[in-house]
Amino acid sequence: MRRVFSLFPAVLIALLLAAAVASAHHSFAMFDRTIEKVATGKVVRWTFNNPHSWLYLNIKNPDGTETLWSFEGSGPTALIQRGINGRTFEPGSTITVLYCPLKDGRAGGGLGWARLPNGTFINPADGGCTGSAESIERWKGWLAKGYTSNIEAQKAQ
Amino acid sequence: MNLNNRLSRIAAVIIAISSVPSIALAQAGAFGGGFGPPLSVVAPPKVFATSDEHYAYLLEQAKGGKKHTLASVPRWDGLWVTAGNTHMSMFVDPPGFSGKVRAGVLTPAYETAYKERWRQQQELGEVQYDRLTHCEPPGYPRWLLEPYSHEFVNLPNESYMINDYGPGIRRVHIGQEHRNEFGTHSWYGDTIGFWDGDKLVTHTKYLLPADFTRWSPMTSNQFESVEKWELKRYPDGIERLEVQVTFYDKFAFVKPVSAVYAFRRAKELEAAGYRVQHWECEGSSNDFLKNGTTTSRLPGEEGFKDPRGTTLFPELPGQSRDPIYNTTLPTKKE
Repeated sequence: MRRVFSLFPAVLIALLLAAAVASAHHSFAMFDRTIEKVATGKVVRWTFNNPHSWLYLNIKNPDGTETLWSFEGSGPTALIQRGINGRTFEPGSTITVLYCPLKDGRAGGGLGWARLPNGTFINPADGGCTGSAESIERWKGWLAKGYTSNIEAQKAQ
Repeated sequence: MNLNNRLSRIAAVIIAISSVPSIALAQAGAFGGGFGPPLSVVAPPKVFATSDEHYAYLLEQAKGGKKHTLASVPRWDGLWVTAGNTHMSMFVDPPGFSGKVRAGVLTPAYETAYKERWRQQQELGEVQYDRLTHCEPPGYPRWLLEPYSHEFVNLPNESYMINDYGPGIRRVHIGQEHRNEFGTHSWYGDTIGFWDGDKLVTHTKYLLPADFTRWSPMTSNQFESVEKWELKRYPDGIERLEVQVTFYDKFAFVKPVSAVYAFRRAKELEAAGYRVQHWECEGSSNDFLKNGTTTSRLPGEEGFKDPRGTTLFPELPGQSRDPIYNTTLPTKKE
């Protein structure tokens, strides 16, 4: 227990630093950052763009159809510092992402972390959602229990 | 309290913090702080009524400034990223985003306008509108605050300060007078400067009205500044460019305000082989206002622009801007 608390300040500092490197091109008012959701889909396009990257995924609906979802991530300068580049998301590959949804309900959100086909977690997030190491660790536990939203996970705890 | 309860409380705090990254962005020392010792503001040597007086005083103190040659001019090579600032402490009382707009810093009209921005930031967690939504350049003074990568090129008669954000390029005309023959203000205004030894002193004026950032006050067309740039080296190989700035604005500020901004040499970016990219404004063009709030057009929606699609000449070979994967996105709703 003591160890958990001794790690807490370090975790907070890491979180703040992670947030501080998020880019700041435009307002992120469009995203609901109190909601975190997980989705799995097939990569259509990874636009490794300045000022923001966008990840486009085809995600299956319950009725078997697919919807193209759009997720906004950080810009190249920040991403490269995290080991992410223009080839990180291969079109056609299946990945899982965390996102904070658009408030107006359209098929999109702020990108949080992403889990690559080989199981590796990476952080392409900008200010629209969080993909920090803390978020990844927290979600590893929640994913193991089958949760797909923070609301669902928090209710169960 | 059992372990689960304690962990739950910790998780709740962490979630609360991680859900408001823009708050961390705007606090003193943010935008990449943590490299080198804490930043502290160095006030001007005395009170000046105008930025012209301030600059003229510093120039006189430096005996007209040092005339560097190509061999002696300080080199600030490489890639740089923002490394903290004391920006918000000019306008907001501690602690950060739970603080209040400081009274008596801004003139009544600007204070009223700023309080509305501050209300949005505090109550909604985000200012609803950012002028960059319309793809306006960051301009100055915002240049001092924004992240992305920076380059500094010093020549004897001119210095170039480059941010890939926009891109935003400031030109410092060394040992020269201000010029505004065409009677116009611009996003970066006109900057002159001189070398006080290895420190670069600059004076900027003729700016367009703008803002520092969306969570900061607006500035007027009379906004001017005096900056002092100095490269400092700290243990662990940290190289930090520290910029002591005093801002003057007879419409916005009751009296001049000062802050320090910093950039650090981004050796990890250099090691990764990163080269500064040009700004791709077409992606930004998908941002728009809806009921007063910034949002983005998505593929398939009317007006969506695909920055990795093809050019206006798709019939020609090699016109895809996604040459590695050559993917396509829908251009209208299916």
